[in-house]
Amino acid sequence: MKRSPELKPTKYDALVVLAVLALAALCAARFWFAPSDAARSVVISINGAKTDRLPFDDAERDYKNNGYTVHIRVTAEGVCVEHADCPTQDCVKTGTISRPGQSIVCLPARIVVSVAGGAADAGYDAVAG
Amino acid sequence: MKKRAVALILICLLLAGCGETAPRANARTVFAMDTVMNLTVYGGNDTQLNAAEQELHRLDAALARGTEGSAVYALNRDGTAAGTELAYLVRSALAISEATDGAFDVTVAPVLELWGFGSGAGEHRVPTEAELAEALAHVGAARLHTDGDTDHVTLDLPAQIDLGGIAKGYAALCVKQKLEAAGATGAVLDLGGDVALLGTKPDGSNWRVAVKDPADGGAYLGVLATDGGRFVMTSGVYERYFEENGVRYHHIIDPRTGCPAESGIVSATVVCGDGIWADALATACCVVGADASLALRARLANETPFELILVTGDGRVLYTCDGFTPEAGNGYTYEKVS
Repeated sequence: MKRSPELKPTKYDALVVLAVLALAALCAARFWFAPSDAARSVVISINGAKTDRLPFDDAERDYKNNGYTVHIRVTAEGVCVEHADCPTQDCVKTGTISRPGQSIVCLPARIVVSVAGGAADAGYDAVAG
Repeated sequence: MKKRAVALILICLLLAGCGETAPRANARTVFAMDTVMNLTVYGGNDTQLNAAEQELHRLDAALARGTEGSAVYALNRDGTAAGTELAYLVRSALAISEATDGAFDVTVAPVLELWGFGSGAGEHRVPTEAELAEALAHVGAARLHTDGDTDHVTLDLPAQIDLGGIAKGYAALCVKQKLEAAGATGAVLDLGGDVALLGTKPDGSNWRVAVKDPADGGAYLGVLATDGGRFVMTSGVYERYFEENGVRYHHIIDPRTGCPAESGIVSATVVCGDGIWADALATACCVVGADASLALRARLANETPFELILVTGDGRVLYTCDGFTPEAGNGYTYEKVS
């Protein structure tokens, strides 16, 4: 049977194939290499604005706001407010947190220490209690 | 050639779908009502969040008993005040007080002040018996009155009210309504650990709320899967307390005794479709104990249905919710109660 000349691939067909491959690669790259917040980190927010981000490595920092100083300690296991000069001491009493979505709040200083990584990544959308 | 161009365009359109991602979560932190609040709106915008934040600040001022010019301030000072919002909240508070046999009572404010747990942020101390007796003489929902369906509220002075026990629940309700009116279709409102869920998640699945372990701020009792329109409110004796002479005194005061509740409940989480009731019932359950809480749930099953997750002092977790998955290996004994 004689092959129809119209079914013979041309350079335009190759162009379509190349375009498809390029777009597929772009989609894959966007999916796999998109910035992810899955890696845990400690985020410090002051007055509601994120001001610092620390990895879960040994570190100590002082943060001052609203006339108070909050001293945090970060280890590979978690982060805690080691001491603070706020009147309530609720931030110190909270203890160590380590899971995404958890936070320590110093209300008088308006400082929030939270574990980032996306609560949804940890299997929940919010923490009650 | 023309056919190939059309094919190429169609393929591009098809592949463009690969790049479609879930709606971005737009979040904001707000300091209000003596707590920190995190508002997350999926696919939301700044206009929606601005409206939500403004509402929270408005309510913070309107409901605080220390805010001069507020209806609550006027009521505590003059014994009479008018306001649609105040009347609505007082009616709700009176209904909850009646349903809980006085375990929830907004007139307990002066007793809270004595212990240093009031909004006046006084020093923590154990009051004398005489002080407690004097303060308790003015506690009781019978001292608070609404005038039919009008906006007029009266209080038998020197009784005082504090709406803090339902403020966050009401705020969650108001913010949820604001966001819905602004077109939000999915949001999580975390008002200092009290959670309100709006609409649906971007992927259509249930919302998942982790419930904090009262004994360990870094651990959870389990995860609750629930649909939108729910309020998940928790009260616990671990939240605020002080120690004196080796004794721990927590902030959940039994309005009937004037002392920290000794019901055996460490924390109570209420899941309810009404934010005000969820907020108040969480406190009331801590006051009345496990058996009475379950009885209350049964009694209100038709009127105001709610679910419970109760943690007792002897290490039990009693839960009524079908969507609750206990966390394994944390030392608690879990009991599903129907």
